[in-house]
Amino acid sequence: MALDAPEVDMTPMIDCVFQLITFFMLVINFESTQADERVKLPESEIAKPPKVKREDEVTINVGFIRNADGSKRVAHPLVFLPGEDVTIAQMTPRIKKDLQMYKLQHPGDAVKTTIKLRSDSEVPIGAIQDLIKLYQEEGYEKFALQAMEEAPKE
Amino acid sequence: MRHREWALATVKPDMTPMIDCVFQLMIFFMLTLKFVQAEGNFDINMPARGAPGGDIGLDIKVRMIADPQGNLVRLQIGQRQLGNDDRAFARLNSEILRAIGGTPGGLASKETEVEIDADDNLQYGHVMKAITACTRRVDERSGQVVRYVEKIKFAPPRR
Repeated sequence: MALDAPEVDMTPMIDCVFQLITFFMLVINFESTQADERVKLPESEIAKPPKVKREDEVTINVGFIRNADGSKRVAHPLVFLPGEDVTIAQMTPRIKKDLQMYKLQHPGDAVKTTIKLRSDSEVPIGAIQDLIKLYQEEGYEKFALQAMEEAPKE
Repeated sequence: MRHREWALATVKPDMTPMIDCVFQLMIFFMLTLKFVQAEGNFDINMPARGAPGGDIGLDIKVRMIADPQGNLVRLQIGQRQLGNDDRAFARLNSEILRAIGGTPGGLASKETEVEIDADDNLQYGHVMKAITACTRRVDERSGQVVRYVEKIKFAPPRR
C-alpha cells in the first residue's frame, strides 16, 4: 500500500492550460508581421482601421535606422523591405517588378492595389512625395497613409 | 467473472504526451504573441497629374512652412496665418468646415479638394496632423467621426 504512487488530479491544470491556449490563439495577429517595428508612426485621434478589408494592398515601411539612444544612424530615410533596406530612389525597379506581377495576374485591368504607407513621423514629406510619385508614374492611384490610433484627449 | 472485473476497472490513459504537446503549443503562442497598438489610416486617391480625374480643380490650398530641422514654423490656409501649435490645426479644422459651407458630408464636402503645399523637409507627422484636420473631426456629442473633405493631394515638392 505504501508503495502505490500518489495520484494527482490533472484536470484543473489541463483546463487552465487549454484556456490559455485559446486566449493566445484568439489574440495572435499574424497580419501585423508586415509592420516594421523601426517605424514610429505619427499619432492621430481620428485615424480608424478600415471597416472593410481591402482586397489588394501592399505595405511599404519608410523610416530611419536608429542607434540605441534613438539618434539617426543614417540621415536619409530608407524603405524597409523584407530582408533589405533600400533608398527611395532604389524602389523604381521593385515597383516595376510588382506591377509586372500584378499585370500577369490581372491582364488588362487598371491597377487597383492600395499602397499602405507606414512612415516614421520624422521622415521629410519630400521623401514621401517622391515615393508616391514613383508609384503614380506606374499607374497606382490609391494610397492609405497609416497613423497610430491615439486615445482621445480629455 | 474475470472478464467482468476487467470491464469495471478504470481505464487510465497516459496524459503525458498530450500535456507535452499542449505546453509546446502554449509556449509557441506566448513567444509569437505581439501586442500591437491599433493603426488607422487615411485613404487618399491620388492619380498622377494629367491622368483622367487627376486635375479636378483646386479649391483650398494649405501651406506648411518648416524650419531647417523640419519643424512646423507656420501653417496657413490661403493667405490666412493659423500659427504653428496644436491650436493651429484646430483653426484649420474650423476653416475647412467654413469652406465646405458648414455641412460635413454634403455636396461641397465631396467636391472640395485640398492641396497640401509643404516644405520639402517638413516632418511627416506635421503633415498627418494637417490631413487629419482637413479630412475629419470627432463629433463631441456622438463621438462619431464626421468627414469634412475627401479629396487630398500634395503640391509638387519644393526643392
